Amino acid sequence: MSSHGFLLAAYVPGRSLIHRVPLWLKFLLVLGCGMASFLIADWAVSAAVLAMLCGLFLLSGAGPARLLRAVRPVLPVLLAIGAFQWWQLGAPTAARIVLNILVCVVAASILTATTSVQALLDGVASLARPFRRFGADPERFALTIAIMLRSIPFVAGAYMDVRDSARARGLERNPRALVLPVFISTVAFARQTGEALAARGLGEPEDPED
Amino acid sequence: MTQTDHPATARTPRRRSRWNATDLGLIAVFAALVAGSALIAAIPVGGLGVPITLQTLAVMLTGLALGPARAFAAVGLYLLLGLAGLPIFSGGRSGLGVLAGPSAGYIIGFLFAATAVGWLAAVVLARTAKRTGKLRPILLFAGAMVSSIVFIHGLGILGMMVNAKLDFSKAFLADLAFYPGDIIKNVLAVSIALALHKAFPDLLLRRVRTADPRP
Repeated sequence: MSSHGFLLAAYVPGRSLIHRVPLWLKFLLVLGCGMASFLIADWAVSAAVLAMLCGLFLLSGAGPARLLRAVRPVLPVLLAIGAFQWWQLGAPTAARIVLNILVCVVAASILTATTSVQALLDGVASLARPFRRFGADPERFALTIAIMLRSIPFVAGAYMDVRDSARARGLERNPRALVLPVFISTVAFARQTGEALAARGLGEPEDPED
Repeated sequence: MTQTDHPATARTPRRRSRWNATDLGLIAVFAALVAGSALIAAIPVGGLGVPITLQTLAVMLTGLALGPARAFAAVGLYLLLGLAGLPIFSGGRSGLGVLAGPSAGYIIGFLFAATAVGWLAAVVLARTAKRTGKLRPILLFAGAMVSSIVFIHGLGILGMMVNAKLDFSKAFLADLAFYPGDIIKNVLAVSIALALHKAFPDLLLRRVRTADPRP
C-alpha cells in the first residue's frame, strides 16, 4: 500500500456550478445544515431539505451511485437509531432524527464531492492564517499536514508487515506482538523524518529570538 | 458546539514556535498513526454499531508517548483533516457529517483524552523517574482509565444524547459495551508506552526534565 489513492475517494472532477462555488460558501452550507438539524422540529421540513440537498448533489454531476456511496457508511447506524426511536418516541420523531442526520451527511458530502483534495488541504492550511499574529506559522502547518499524509501509507504498511511476521512466529493472537513493533517503527520513522527536515533547514521555527 | 474548536486546533501546531523539526515529525506521524489505526480493522459493537478499532489505543498512546501539547496537536491535526473530508475516521467515514452522527462525541473526546493522559503521563514519568517497580505502570494505567472514562466515554454519551436523542440512561447503557475493550486497550497502551520510553528514552522524559527545572 504505497499509493495515495485513498485520498481521492470522494472527489468527482467537474465544471458544474457547485464545483465553482468558493470553498467557504460550501462550508457555510454544511455549517448551516448542522445548525438547522438542531432547529428543525418537523420531519416533513427535514425531508424537504434532504430532497433539496440530494438535488444539489445530483446537479453537481456526481451521480446517484456516488450519493449512495456517501450515505452508505451511516445507514446501519441510522436504521438502528430509527427503529429504536420509533419504538421509544414514535414515528414522526424517529423520522426527524434520522432525516436530520442524513441532511448533515449529504451536505458534507456535497462539499467533499465537489472540492479537490488539494483545495481542501489548502483551505485547512489557510485556517492558520488568522492566527499568524499569535505566533502561528501557516507554512509549518502546511508542512505538518503534508508529512502526515505521506505517513499514512507507511503506518498501514507497518501494520501489514508486523502482522505477517507475527503470523510467521505463531504470535498472531498476541496483541502486544501485533502492535508494539508498529509503534516502535513509527516513532523511529517520525524521528528520521524530523532529522531529514532539519538537515534541509525545514520545519525549524523561523524567528529564533525566543 | 464543535465548529468553534476547529480554528483552535488549526492554531495549536503553530503556537509553540519552540517545536523543532523532530517534534513536527512526531506530531505528523502520530496523527498518521491514529488515522492508520482507525482504518485497519473496524468491528461494529454495541447497540448503536459504533465501531471498535485500534484507534482508541493509538489515541491513548499518542498521549502517553508525546505528552499533552504534542498529543493535542497530533490528535487535533487528525480530527481537522478528517473533518475536512479525508476518509480517515473509523470505517472510512469523513467530513463534517461525522459531527452529526452518534459517534461524534467519541471523536471529539479523543482530543481531550489524549491531552489529559499526556499531561498525567508527563507528571507520572517525572515523579517516578528514580523508582523502579510496579508503581509507574499502575499509575499510568490509572491515568489512562480516568482520561478515557471522563473524556471519551463522557463526551461519547453526550454525543449519543445530542445526536441520536437518547436519554442519559440509554446512552449510558449503549456506552457500557465499550468498557471491556477499553480496559484491554489501556493495559496494552501502558505496556507499549513503557516499551517506547525504554526504546526512546528522550521521547518525553528529557522534555519533562528541561520543562520543569524548578526544584
